[in-house]
Amino acid sequence: MSDDAELLERIRNGATDDFGELVRRHQSRVFAILHRYERDLHKVEDLAQEAFVKVWRALGQFDGRAPFEHWLSSITTRVALDHLRKEKRRQNEIGLPELGDDALDWLRSGDGKSELEARSAAELLELAMRELSPADRVVITMQELEGRSVKEIAVAIGASGVAVRVRAMRARAKLKRSLEKLAGHESRGTEKSGLDGVSPHQNEK
Amino acid sequence: MNNRKLKQLFASARRETAPAPPEDFAADVLRAIRREPPVAAPETISIFDQLNLWFPRLALTASAVIVLCVAADYGLTAAGVPNLSDGAAQLSAQWLLTPTGL
Repeated sequence: MSDDAELLERIRNGATDDFGELVRRHQSRVFAILHRYERDLHKVEDLAQEAFVKVWRALGQFDGRAPFEHWLSSITTRVALDHLRKEKRRQNEIGLPELGDDALDWLRSGDGKSELEARSAAELLELAMRELSPADRVVITMQELEGRSVKEIAVAIGASGVAVRVRAMRARAKLKRSLEKLAGHESRGTEKSGLDGVSPHQNEK
Repeated sequence: MNNRKLKQLFASARRETAPAPPEDFAADVLRAIRREPPVAAPETISIFDQLNLWFPRLALTASAVIVLCVAADYGLTAAGVPNLSDGAAQLSAQWLLTPTGL
């Protein structure tokens, strides 16, 4: 099987169908990146398609000095960032999703000794990160969840390394406050209802 | 919310597996790109293109330097400051062109 460079050369020479092979090779990575920012699978699929179409349009600009997957990842991250900016504008129109019992219990427990299930943790983070600006969210996600370097993040969001470090520090503090607020908000909701572990949104129904 | 708890939250979230792309995802992308214009190969810039790009700038810079020098010469002469050519002629007359030489 040929590597990405050969495949790209064939695509540039007119073998459009080979782009399908390129998509198959890298689609899991693109879905994984986008799922960090959007939990609705249909939206993830639309965004992934948008990312690959952007890759197709920009293929002429890819000079092959960096690995293709790095280039693809930065395009995908920019698609996610644009999506977050659009979503942020209509965030107030959408109600907060409900938190599960285990996420609520974990939030309320002071020590953090118990381990939260992966899906609940991701949902909780998603909810808390809504308080963050899109760029802050991208910085924290890339740094903490994807394990990317400051340099990679700087390239992805078009900022300097120092700016990324400062943004990451502020975003982490903001995220902590958001989680504390979330714990307080959810606790008050359950106290009012008298039903432990049920979110206030459920009681409104 | 302490740092330890936040780190634990990140660690748990990292373990979440991403959804698998649908079977026909690549085919959908291909259908979408068929509506797009064909891709172009990356542009290669030859040495002549680069020279063409640089020569007007070099010519402009050289002209600016000449204009500056002429203006400075006129300015200094008008101010009564001996100019460089007078100074050089004076030096050669005093030191180089004397019968004894240096």
